[in-house]
Amino acid sequence: MSPDAEGGGRNVEGEAPVIEETVETDEATVTGDAELERTLGLSGGLAIGIGTMIGAGIFVFPGLAAGEAGPAAAGSFAIGAVVALLVALPTSELATAMPKSGGGYYFISRGLGTLAGTVVGLSLWFGLVFATAFYLVGFGYYAVDTLAEVGVAVGDGLAVPIALLFGAGFTALNVTGTENAAKLQNGVVALLLSILSVFLLYGALDALGVVGAPSAPERFMPFGPVPVLTTAALVFTSYLGFAQVATVAGEMKRPGRNLPLAMVGSVVIVGVMYVLTVFVATSAIPSGELAALGETAMVDVGRHYLGGAGALAIVFGGLLATMSSANASILSTSRAIYAVSRDAILPRWASRINLKYGTPHVALGLAGGPVLVLVGTGEVEVLAEVASFLHLVLYGLMCVALIALRRDEPEWYDPDFRVPGYPVVPVLGALSSFALILFMQRLSQVVGLAVMLAAAGWYFYYARGVSLRGAL
Amino acid sequence: MTRVLVPLAILAGESVSPGLIDLLGTVDVTVLGYHVVPEQTPPDQARLQYEDRANEALDDVTEEFAAAGGAAERRLVFTHDREQSVERIADELDADAVAVRGATGPVERLLVPLTGAVAADRVTEFVVTLVGDRDVDVTLFVATDAEDEAGETALDDAAASLREAGIDVETSRATGPPFESLVDAAAGHDAVVMGERAPSLRSFLFGDEAERVAAETVGPVLVVRRGEEAAAPERDPDADAA
Repeated sequence: MSPDAEGGGRNVEGEAPVIEETVETDEATVTGDAELERTLGLSGGLAIGIGTMIGAGIFVFPGLAAGEAGPAAAGSFAIGAVVALLVALPTSELATAMPKSGGGYYFISRGLGTLAGTVVGLSLWFGLVFATAFYLVGFGYYAVDTLAEVGVAVGDGLAVPIALLFGAGFTALNVTGTENAAKLQNGVVALLLSILSVFLLYGALDALGVVGAPSAPERFMPFGPVPVLTTAALVFTSYLGFAQVATVAGEMKRPGRNLPLAMVGSVVIVGVMYVLTVFVATSAIPSGELAALGETAMVDVGRHYLGGAGALAIVFGGLLATMSSANASILSTSRAIYAVSRDAILPRWASRINLKYGTPHVALGLAGGPVLVLVGTGEVEVLAEVASFLHLVLYGLMCVALIALRRDEPEWYDPDFRVPGYPVVPVLGALSSFALILFMQRLSQVVGLAVMLAAAGWYFYYARGVSLRGAL
Repeated sequence: MTRVLVPLAILAGESVSPGLIDLLGTVDVTVLGYHVVPEQTPPDQARLQYEDRANEALDDVTEEFAAAGGAAERRLVFTHDREQSVERIADELDADAVAVRGATGPVERLLVPLTGAVAADRVTEFVVTLVGDRDVDVTLFVATDAEDEAGETALDDAAASLREAGIDVETSRATGPPFESLVDAAAGHDAVVMGERAPSLRSFLFGDEAERVAAETVGPVLVVRRGEEAAAPERDPDADAA
């Protein structure tokens, strides 16, 4: 029996999923008549993971998180990292078994069937849209602060218009720009990591009293343990990058080795940086004041340690980081849309390629358009939480899909990387993903649930006839 | 059997000149149709949309090569990185040479430069197979900036083995910068056959020099790949093509 014997069916427009047998090698995917070159190396994969994650965690959240959990916000970030790792390991196994474009959506539709696949695929689209909007609003605040730092005070009112302008700009650039966006991304991430390392090293030495004046001690958990968990739910947005690595799994060289390394590696690297950042920030400035400083509190932390130069380095880093997060997310969104459209869950025209530029202009528009609408709301916390909600559902279901596949291993299921500690790790990953959802604000839960219900409704209207389970 | 890889930007409407097709009639040919997509586009997405069109064009070219004599095969690749794809497929096929396209009519004279550290044996062997029993003259060429005994010897050895195979050979020496001398010498020749130089096919095929040779001489260039034994130390398999 060939592995694609099970897939098929048609959607309401009569389109069938494109399912064919392929041979995956370390360097290419070989289909019947053509080869698809794998061109992304480990560093490219890490840049996508780290580049997506680092913007939010370091440059937007420390102020907000410290306000809610006090210095224990560092613990919230650590909890987030552990949950992310519990999911990153099963995701790695799935990705090496199915190194295809589409990432989480692909694994779930093949492991759990079309309904779950549709809900996750469309939720992933909107989850990325919410995340991108959140990064862009953060970018807007940093742009305002950068202007203030160089002496042009425009006020926070301009943050959202700037975010809108750049959101539209990124989308247009991705449609028309055919130069190496990925190389630029690598450079931005490398530059960012160097700025941060210097800053964190100095800050940590200072906070520990090695250099500078000893800082005032503060109670670690001024509000008790519960806010630490709710804050973990909020800041989990900072970890929504590792699974984006899986959306480019089809283009990764040596996927069996590079996918797990890129996913787990990027979570570990950013997790350490986040915890250090919050530690350094809360040592410099009492958490109450940090909260009042809001999205760009890190700028004042930079000023505290290194004066005007420190502040400037941080605003510059913030600009770079939020920009790279937003840009990487827009790219992942368009790949997510392509993956569902290829499977006839969205109309085929959604994956059309622009004749002039060779770019997926429809999918990029479907990513960029809704982003701008959401940016208009300017609601940083809700945007972040809804993004987290939708991603957490995806993460939980990926763990479930792994368990489902392992319990009744199909013939085609042959991952290069097997999750250590099975079944404990995926079970914990699923439970903790779903548990974090419970700690979110009511509004975010309602919006997230509404998106999922709408996706399920779409399935029953449009894609009911499509069957994807086990269809490689 | 001797095999030449002919990369073509198949969807950009690139085609192969009749002169090059004839010239390659004595060897096996693999036509590599490639389409480069920007980073924003998954290669698979481009395939979904363009595969049929690319296959049609590729079949036509492949048939032309088959009609000229040698066995002709085809590969189709969607990629973000042209060099990586060409190099991978050349390795997989263990191709003896890679063709850089150029316009030419019937080929009557080949220029074969042996300047620098090239595997002269492989180049001459390839030229012998390529010429076969056809009436194609060869000019062996070396550019030296001073007395270069090694270069002289290589030139004479190569000339001797080509004559042995019944090929009409002239030798030509120039003093001066290797590249400019080569371009000057190319006048009056229909195609260039040259050895791949260290460190890799990539730097030669895609560096300034290849572009300039192809542009200046207008005609096609066949780059004879370095053999296994002559190749640079094993590349690190983990190395990323940034």
